[in-house]
Amino acid sequence: MEINTIIKLKDVNFYYGSSQALTDISMTFGKNKVTALIGPSGCGKSTLLRLLNRMNDLIDGTRVEGEILFEEKNIYAPDVDPVEIRRKIGMVFQKPNPFPKTIYNNIAYGPKLTGVQTGDLDILVEQSLKQAVLWDEVKDVLNKSAMNLSGGQQQRLCIARALAMKPDILLMDEPTSALDPISTAKIEELIEELKKDYTIIIVTHNMQQAARISDETAFFYIGNLIEYNKTEKIFTKPDVKQTEDYITGRFG
Amino acid sequence: MKSFKYNSMKWRYFRQTVFFMLVRASALIITLALSGIILYIIVNGIGVISWDFISKPPTDAMTKGGIMPAILGTIYLTVGAIAIGLPLGIASAIYLTEYARQGKIVRFIKVGINCLAGVPSVVFGLFGLGFFVIFLKFGSSILSGSLTLGFLILPTIIGASEEALKSVPQTFREASLSLGVSKWQTTYRIVLPNAMPGILTGSILGIGRAAGETAPIMFTAAAYFTSKLPGSVFDEVMALPYHIYVLATAGTNIEATRPIQFGTVLVLVAVVLGIDLIAIVIRSYMRRNKRW
Repeated sequence: MEINTIIKLKDVNFYYGSSQALTDISMTFGKNKVTALIGPSGCGKSTLLRLLNRMNDLIDGTRVEGEILFEEKNIYAPDVDPVEIRRKIGMVFQKPNPFPKTIYNNIAYGPKLTGVQTGDLDILVEQSLKQAVLWDEVKDVLNKSAMNLSGGQQQRLCIARALAMKPDILLMDEPTSALDPISTAKIEELIEELKKDYTIIIVTHNMQQAARISDETAFFYIGNLIEYNKTEKIFTKPDVKQTEDYITGRFG
Repeated sequence: MKSFKYNSMKWRYFRQTVFFMLVRASALIITLALSGIILYIIVNGIGVISWDFISKPPTDAMTKGGIMPAILGTIYLTVGAIAIGLPLGIASAIYLTEYARQGKIVRFIKVGINCLAGVPSVVFGLFGLGFFVIFLKFGSSILSGSLTLGFLILPTIIGASEEALKSVPQTFREASLSLGVSKWQTTYRIVLPNAMPGILTGSILGIGRAAGETAPIMFTAAAYFTSKLPGSVFDEVMALPYHIYVLATAGTNIEATRPIQFGTVLVLVAVVLGIDLIAIVIRSYMRRNKRW
C-alpha cells in the first residue's frame, strides 16, 4: 500500500478565518486509483480537494495546519511554489469553464505558457482531445470558439485542457453535476479510461456515481473523515452507522 | 386576524402609468437638451467651417484664418494624456483588484482615488504648474499638459478598469491557475483581454474630458498664440478649449470672432466625438469574441 501512495495527509486542519472547515484529516490516496469523496454539502470534501492543488491559497484569510505530502514532499512547505504544484496536479471544476478562446487555444494555452510541451503543439492538442474522447466531435472546428460547444463537450474540453499539462493527478470537483445523464455517462466512461494513466480524486454528490467509478471512497461529515475504505465495502457493509445512513439516504 | 386590504388594480395601474411617464419625460428632456446644444453649435458654427479653417493658422490677430494649430495641439495633448493615463490607470486597477490584499490599505487607496476624482480641474492645473512646469522644469509644454491631463483622467480610468476587471468571471482565473499558469500570466493572458472592452468603454469618458478641459492646460501647456507648430514635447501648443476661452474673453475683437468661436466649438465637439468613435470601434472589435 505504502509504495502506491501518491498523496498523504497528516493531521490536516483547515480554517476559513476563524471557522474550522476540516478537522484532523489523515489519509492517503493511492496511485492510479479513483478515489471518491462523498458527504453532505458543507462537509469539507471540496475544501479538501482544493487543498491538494493549493487552490485555497486564492481565498484570503485561510489557514492550513498539518502536512500534505505529494511525492514525499509537503506541498505547504515554504519553499514550494504553488504554481509548480498545480502544474502536476490538474483540476476539473463543477461548471465547465473553457476560456473564451478557440478549442485549439484552450488546450494549447497551458502548455504554451508553462513551456512544458515537448515537440509539436498540434500533436499534443490532438492527443489530449483524443484522451478526453472529444477529438472526433471537434477535429473540424478546432478554430471555432469553445463557447459554441455543448455543456458536456465543454467539460470534456476542460478535462482535455487539464490532461495537456500531463499531470500526475486529476482532481475533479463534481464534474458532472451541471451535465445531463448522457454527458455524465460519457465522462464516467472517460474516468474509467483515464484511471490507467492518472490518479483521480473526485468529489461527487451522486452516490451511484461514486459506487460505479471509484476504487476507494471517503465519507466526510462536518469537516471530519468518518470512514475511508474500498468502495465496495463502503457501499455494502460500512463500519460506521453515519456512513450507512448517508448512503442509504437517511440524511444528507 | 386583521384583514388585508389590497389597493385596487385601477389605482396601481394609474400609479404605474404616472411613473412611466415621469421617467420617459426625464429621458426626453435630456435628449432634447443635448440635441439642442449640438444643434445650436452646428447652426452657429457651420458657416465658418471650411478646409482653410481646419488647415490654416489664425491671421489678423485671430479675427481671420483657421485654427489648425489648436486642433493639432488638442490631439497631441489628448493622445499624450491617454498614453500616460491609460497604462498607469490600468496598472493601478490590476494592483488593486488582482494583487493587493483586500483590507485597510486598499480601502485607503480607493478613498484617495475617489477624492482625486472630485478635485476641481483648476487645482490639477495649478498642481501641474507647480510640479511639472516649475519643479521638474518641463516648462509650459505638451509634456506638462499631457501629464496634468493624464492625472486628471486617472480616477476615471482606474474606476472603469476596476469594474471591468471585477466583471471577468473568477472561474477563468481559477481555470488558468489550476493549469499551473502563473498569476501574472493569468492576469495578462486571460483577465486583461477579457476586461479590455470594459476598460475602454469607461475610459472613453475620461478621454473625452481630457480633450475638452481648459483649466488644467491653461498654466501647463496652452499658448495664447503660436505661429509655429511644436517641434518636440517640450514646446507649447495652442489647444481648442483654451482657444475658445481666449477668443471669447480676451480676444482683440470678441464680437468679430463670434463665428470663429462657434466654429472652434464645433470642431472641438467633433474631435471629442471622433476620439470616442475610435475607442468605440476598438471596443466592438475586441468584443466580438466575448461570450459570457
